[in-house]
Amino acid sequence: MTKVANPKEKKSENESKIWQFLCSVKLAVIIIVVLAVSCVLGTVILQQLTPEEYVAKYGEVLTKFFTAAQFTDIFHSYWFAILLILLCVNLGSCTVKRWRNTVLQIGFLLTHISIILIMIGCFIDLQLGEKGGVNVYEGKSVDYYLRRGDYKKIPLDFEVFLDDFIIERHPPKFRLISYVKDKDIQKPLSVKVGEKYNIKNSNYSVTIKDLYPDAEYSQKPVNISDEPVNPAVYVQMFGSSDIKAEGWLFAKGRNWYNDENHNMRLEYFWVDNEKEFEKLTKTAEKGLLPKLGIVLEDKGIDREFVIETGANFTIEGTEYKIEIKEFALDYTNRTKPLKDQLVNNPAVRIEIVGPEGSDTRWAFSKYPDYWDKAHQTKYKDIRVACKVPDDFTFASNKMRIVQNQNNEKVISYIENDKVIKVVNWEIGKKCEIGGTGFQLRIAKYFPSYSVQREVVKKSDTMNNPAILVEIAGPRGKVEDWILGQTPATWYPDNNFALLYERSGMEIKDYKSKLRVIDNGQTVLSKTIEVNDPLKYSGYVFYQSSYDPEGEKYSGLQVTKNPGIVVVYSGFIILCVGVVFIFYVKPFLRRKSNKKER
Amino acid sequence: MDFMLNITFYAFILGIVAYIVREVWRTGTMRIIALGVLSGALLLNTILVLMRWFEANHAPMSDKFESFVFFAWSIALVYLIMELVTIFIIKVHGSRLGIVGAFQCVLSACFLYCAIGTDSTIKELPPALQSNWLVIHVINYFISYSALSISFSAAIVYLIYRAIYHGKAQEIVMKDITFDKLAYISVTIGFPFLTVGLITGSIWAKGAWGTYWGWDPKEIWSLINWLIYLAYLHLPLILPKTKISKSFRPILLSIILLVAFPTVIFTFMGLHKLPTAGTSDHIYAE
Repeated sequence: MTKVANPKEKKSENESKIWQFLCSVKLAVIIIVVLAVSCVLGTVILQQLTPEEYVAKYGEVLTKFFTAAQFTDIFHSYWFAILLILLCVNLGSCTVKRWRNTVLQIGFLLTHISIILIMIGCFIDLQLGEKGGVNVYEGKSVDYYLRRGDYKKIPLDFEVFLDDFIIERHPPKFRLISYVKDKDIQKPLSVKVGEKYNIKNSNYSVTIKDLYPDAEYSQKPVNISDEPVNPAVYVQMFGSSDIKAEGWLFAKGRNWYNDENHNMRLEYFWVDNEKEFEKLTKTAEKGLLPKLGIVLEDKGIDREFVIETGANFTIEGTEYKIEIKEFALDYTNRTKPLKDQLVNNPAVRIEIVGPEGSDTRWAFSKYPDYWDKAHQTKYKDIRVACKVPDDFTFASNKMRIVQNQNNEKVISYIENDKVIKVVNWEIGKKCEIGGTGFQLRIAKYFPSYSVQREVVKKSDTMNNPAILVEIAGPRGKVEDWILGQTPATWYPDNNFALLYERSGMEIKDYKSKLRVIDNGQTVLSKTIEVNDPLKYSGYVFYQSSYDPEGEKYSGLQVTKNPGIVVVYSGFIILCVGVVFIFYVKPFLRRKSNKKER
Repeated sequence: MDFMLNITFYAFILGIVAYIVREVWRTGTMRIIALGVLSGALLLNTILVLMRWFEANHAPMSDKFESFVFFAWSIALVYLIMELVTIFIIKVHGSRLGIVGAFQCVLSACFLYCAIGTDSTIKELPPALQSNWLVIHVINYFISYSALSISFSAAIVYLIYRAIYHGKAQEIVMKDITFDKLAYISVTIGFPFLTVGLITGSIWAKGAWGTYWGWDPKEIWSLINWLIYLAYLHLPLILPKTKISKSFRPILLSIILLVAFPTVIFTFMGLHKLPTAGTSDHIYAE
């Protein structure tokens, strides 16, 4: 505590009333209170918005008032600055006036001077300091930064080179959250295998039965009955010794496999009558060919032509002549030979010659009207379609696997649409298809093919864990796997759910390996991270952000604070002063009091 | 952990009862019992803090749950130190702190109760918090807040006494009711820590964000708290020069403390309610 001013001084004629007021503790308290109130305002009123945002948020009248009173940016307003200057003047004059040159007053002197020092330091930084940011790409350097506020390019007289940018991540962490809907209670449960948790205020309980640190769903083919509901065979095609291809064929779904490389097509049929069986095994029909469809609605014309490059034809009843210029099974790979293209996005390019000259267009089988909508066409009345069967192939060899209700099993070998050979097959046995160099093995036959989804362990490192939980509740016990990062799992009564989600921070740290190059020479290198910046020639480079879509660039914050020494001295002096006043002075005073006694 | 937390919570509840009984019965035995209960509760709380430190592998003051437990601990610790100092070093009679102990137990129990309802999973520290400044900065603040909480309790007690002995100022002097002085002393104990906390925070911000003062809501509110207590400390210098009567002055100061501590609590845990909270770098948990 400072001593109350001596009454004699008050009467001194040299002192004006203004000086007295400037020195007074009263003014200090007033300034402190006003500062505190303005600080509150600065956090209650949104700062630095655009005038439109203010009007939307607070209305016309208040906005006008805020703007007039500079409440829209309190901490950079004139009145706030004046308040701070006034505080400094008050502190200074008060210190000068009350200094009695005694040991007990050291704290008073230090604290008051320190505040003035901090203000001066801040003022220096405000005037001469710099602040901005710059992104540096890995393996590149920068010799400038963008100033905060106006993004003006400010040159640096040295270069900062980024050798490497590293993001360190935490191993993934997961937490299990239980939720009781009717009570709206959410509670995290710790995941310990074998542990049973009773959920508070409810009659649910959760038991953790197993944990896989890294799991995934797998689709396991299963046979669910002996009735031929969905007959399927697992076929392996062998070359000289190794498997060339293998997979499932479904009689009622995708029953074919085309292998253009080996000029081979596999088919699978399951039939329940003799007639069909005979037909399939003994005869062979031509495969469907790609066709071009031409439709002229207003003339009632709807025709199809087999696509052959170079073919041309006239449309009867019209003046149009059409020539097929180009055909592709896979439009994006159309420069490859046709045989090497997979049936992916078939398209045909045609030229239409009519009364107004020629018109060329592509027709896509997947997007029939695409060309017409996206491009200017001359003949809008013609609609062109490219029709390619899904199972279209150039292969001239076919292996047709056929099976019937009497469990007769044969393979017909067809070459150029002629049945060459018919052999019987058995599950698990290799069938020699004479002369072709290929062998077939029907490894499995499922009359009722289905897939079972099950959780399998992928590895032992924590990545995407799964837990096996048993939930007990009003509808009995339910056991299920819960995978991390999947939607919540609900108990059958739809009132209780478990969610296994990622928790905690993903990013542990980001670091930039920086080098400062001055006059062509590396003068300083340092790996910076948050809380550990690089300092060079008055500038400080902070790790502030990073490329969110990869690790290509590092965001640096650049600052220059010439006043920081003053500010920090103020800080130290303030600490010393405050500690002196409240922790040292009372003891000194006590001592002197004792002496007096 | 949950079990320990509950036990500690009930230990503080027991502490409240012990301090109230002590205030009614004022015997030497009761004083020792109350001190013992508080020490026990503090010990349990210490174990909680240490367990968490060991489990989380970082200073247990980074998220809401950890800071609640730590705050409860520091409130009990600072009060216990203060009581021990009054009994054994300054050797003033026991009623000086009196019922304040019960208030401090209430505060500790409150924060533990908050902790029980908070997500206690261990979270990794974000890059900005990975610094030694975390420990220095936060411990300073919690010691300060704890000392200031004593001033708050003492102010309440003083105002209650003044209400009871309404208009009988003489009686207050006779009964040696000095809770206004206790409140002032608590502020003088807490204020230096508040200052150091503010300064270490500023230095830390410079290292982590590149600016020692960025007008962040948390920074502003810490400054507001500092300014309020600064005003409180300067007021006794000017009050004698004003027309405010001598007997009303301590009431005015107590009322200021009554307002001041809630703003501290607001800075500690209420900032996400501010409209400007979106601009803050300090709000991690909400």
